[in-house]
Amino acid sequence: MKNKRFNLLLIAVVTLVAVWSLWPTWRDYTFSKQLNSFGSIQDSLKYVMSHREEIEDARKKSLKLGLDLRGGMHLVMEVDQVDLFEQKAWNKDAKFSAIMQAVRAKAAQSDVRVIDLLVGEFRNENIPLSRYFYDIRNSDQEIVKKLEKESEDALNRAKEIIRNRIDQYGVAEPVITTQGSRKIIIELPGVSDENRVRNLLKGTAKLEFRLLREPEVMVRTLDRINTYLAQNSLSAPAKAPLAPDSSSAKAPQPDSVAATPAVKPSSSNPLYDLVGVFQNGTAYTSEHSRELVLSLLRRADIQALMPLDTELLLAAKPDIGKNGEKLYPIYLVKKATELTGGVITEAKATFGSQGVQPEVLMSMNSDGTSKWARITGANIGKRIAIVLDGAVYSAPVVQSKIPNGNSVINGIESLEEAKDLEIVLKAGALPAPVRITEERSVGPSLGADYIRAGIQSLAWAFLAVSVFMLVYYKKAGIAADIALVLNILIVLSVLAGFNASLSLPGIAGIVLTIGMAVDANVLIYERIREELAEGKSVISAVTQGYDRAFSSILDSHVTTLSAAFLLYTYGIGPIQGFAVTLMIGTSASLFTAIVVTREIFHLLLAKNLMSEKSFG
Amino acid sequence: MRIFQKTHFNFIHNRKIAYGFSIILLLAGMVSLVVKGLNYGIDFRGGSEVVIRFDKNIDVGEIRSVLDAAGVSGTLKQYGMDRSFLFSTVFQGDTGQLKSLVSNALNARIPGNHHEIVRIDAVGPSIASDLKWSAVKALIASLLAILLYVGFRFEIKFATAGVVAIFHDILTVLGLFSILGGLFPFMPLEMDQSIIAAFLTIAGYSITDTVVVYDRIRERIRGQKPSEYERIFNESMNQTLSRTIITSGTVLLSVLVLFIFAGPAIRGFAFAVFSGILIGTYSSIFVAAPLVYDWLKMTKSAVRLRGNKQP
Repeated sequence: MKNKRFNLLLIAVVTLVAVWSLWPTWRDYTFSKQLNSFGSIQDSLKYVMSHREEIEDARKKSLKLGLDLRGGMHLVMEVDQVDLFEQKAWNKDAKFSAIMQAVRAKAAQSDVRVIDLLVGEFRNENIPLSRYFYDIRNSDQEIVKKLEKESEDALNRAKEIIRNRIDQYGVAEPVITTQGSRKIIIELPGVSDENRVRNLLKGTAKLEFRLLREPEVMVRTLDRINTYLAQNSLSAPAKAPLAPDSSSAKAPQPDSVAATPAVKPSSSNPLYDLVGVFQNGTAYTSEHSRELVLSLLRRADIQALMPLDTELLLAAKPDIGKNGEKLYPIYLVKKATELTGGVITEAKATFGSQGVQPEVLMSMNSDGTSKWARITGANIGKRIAIVLDGAVYSAPVVQSKIPNGNSVINGIESLEEAKDLEIVLKAGALPAPVRITEERSVGPSLGADYIRAGIQSLAWAFLAVSVFMLVYYKKAGIAADIALVLNILIVLSVLAGFNASLSLPGIAGIVLTIGMAVDANVLIYERIREELAEGKSVISAVTQGYDRAFSSILDSHVTTLSAAFLLYTYGIGPIQGFAVTLMIGTSASLFTAIVVTREIFHLLLAKNLMSEKSFG
Repeated sequence: MRIFQKTHFNFIHNRKIAYGFSIILLLAGMVSLVVKGLNYGIDFRGGSEVVIRFDKNIDVGEIRSVLDAAGVSGTLKQYGMDRSFLFSTVFQGDTGQLKSLVSNALNARIPGNHHEIVRIDAVGPSIASDLKWSAVKALIASLLAILLYVGFRFEIKFATAGVVAIFHDILTVLGLFSILGGLFPFMPLEMDQSIIAAFLTIAGYSITDTVVVYDRIRERIRGQKPSEYERIFNESMNQTLSRTIITSGTVLLSVLVLFIFAGPAIRGFAFAVFSGILIGTYSSIFVAAPLVYDWLKMTKSAVRLRGNKQP
């Protein structure tokens, strides 16, 4: 009897907790329904103002819908750890580059930790890590430990910076987590401008101030590359796409007197088919050839032709030529960075002095200010390039020493872009480049369809299964159906209580649970029927039925649970949602099907409401 | 109400027929897997997918020609919803580019029929290979877990036969996916993450029915001579037949609802679970228990089962 009272208490508590946990969801639903019913915006605004706290509280505690149901973006970004390790290395030589190349190739194909790949490669080559990393006296283990720490830090830093960027951009309830050693998972519900978000996230935001080399040096460099390319007839990979592009590159060449190309394009001048040089020593490439020139500049053999410690960079934004064509200036800048974005403390998007050109004003910390004053003071009359993520935004001539630590980025197309720049500069630079390896976005209209489909499936599955139980098991079916309702309530309330979100696969998990939850009851009822057929009394048949069916119920639940658990462990994203609801549902059905229905029978038996016929 | 009143099927006697049927089923699947292969979704091969929905009815061919003319190469199929199409192409890091390319082409060429891009998925090749590995690991781990658990609860012969039956079920479903893949426009049956979820669900659930039969055998076999095994097996299977079928039936019912109502994103999953549970029910009666019987007969030993403490 004591046990029975405990069970009843347990059932009551579970039911109450479930209802309590789902109460905010119900409130949230009624609030939004109420808001929709208002005729005018003023009315609904007034309502929101007067019920503000309740509405917000309900929303915060209500059952969240997954990205697929409410629309939004799911992104997986990968931190380029090969790049990170390259940054950490010193003494870099050709051997090192070759090893890193191999590591990069392997890393692209698998999910093995980059550090392990790195160690493997070095071991294969029989080179101690200390040749390139940290101190020569360090053992491999010590270095691995340090690098591991570095990569872990980098991942967490990248996560924080990305979170900063998203917070400043303004997304409600973003979820940002790390997975494994190099992945960051970002969930952004209700994002509509996917392109902008993508651009905001993928930039490293590495800001550098670098000195420009003299124009003559650049022209000589371009000449050298041109000659080299002519002699080597543009090795195989670059040759093919060059041909069609050479014609388009000719088209946008300006023909004004001041800007006659110094070199006429011809097939014997492969580089100058792509790149034009003005007489004043500035070089440019057209929009058509931009990609091609970029890939040329990335080639190691081409980079070897550039003067020591310099590189050719393209402008981030094109200048508009005389005929409206887009021309990207090319700059020869020193590799050494005078100052980095780390010193930036404040950034502000605004319009320039003429009031039309958007720009970003930056101010620096005291360390940056004094350095900036020294740099500008020492280089009056020279040009300093402002480089963001490898593209030159502007390269102003230093007019005078700048003592107050101010600088400005211009050459920005729109105010929106300036605002995004402000965000990324404020959030700081990522420790290593990131790239998007997986993206899933669902529009709100499809989400609404999914919700409708989900609710329909839930309703029909519940109807079908519960009606079947009633028809097949008569009165006992009612108990099973009550247990089923409680089961669904428990699943939803656990989701709401733990702030997990409900996705379409999650709904599929609940639908499946509906079918599986009654299994325990089926096993019990069949057993009871058997016991009844042997001529036992209802009371003893019920007791025996529950006792004897228990072992197979337990076994079947354990196997389903373990499969769902493994699915949760190894699966990602949407599949985990399914696994979670299946796990909750299966565990809950152990309770609802065994404890709850049993207590219902006990109550009915005590009141003499059960007979042999009650089990169909 | 009762579906099976009192049955007296001689399952054990006719087990060879069932074995034959299973082998044919498996062979057909294997042949198809080798010859035709599977239809991998972007989860496993990497790539980009765009779901486009139009306001009015439109012919697939028309959209295809517009996209071809715009230089976007890929395959276009009817998506399992009204006026919706699935365009899949190679992986592009920047889905924004793909989206604007498709959108601009359609806006320019089909101006009278407004469209909306309702979903974009892009999966890079490294993720795809990760997913494949996780899937294999999860499956192997779940089979091992089941083998251990059932081995612990019953006996290793029972556990092995149960896992063989799960193998049988999953391979058959895999074969079905290969054979039927791409045949029905409303159900492309692509291998993706959700199918792995289906396989694990099948693995976890298929053993349920098997355990119910085992449980009854365990209850009755105690202290019996091996010569009685055939009778006990048959009786046990007949006695549990109705609950085996009803437990599966309720699940089949809800999966059927999923198949019909939950939309194209879940359809492949629903199909896999439906066929898996159907085959799983068959295999727990016709494969798992008969295999145990054959094994016991071969070793000519009396079983010692754990957990048999009932009077």
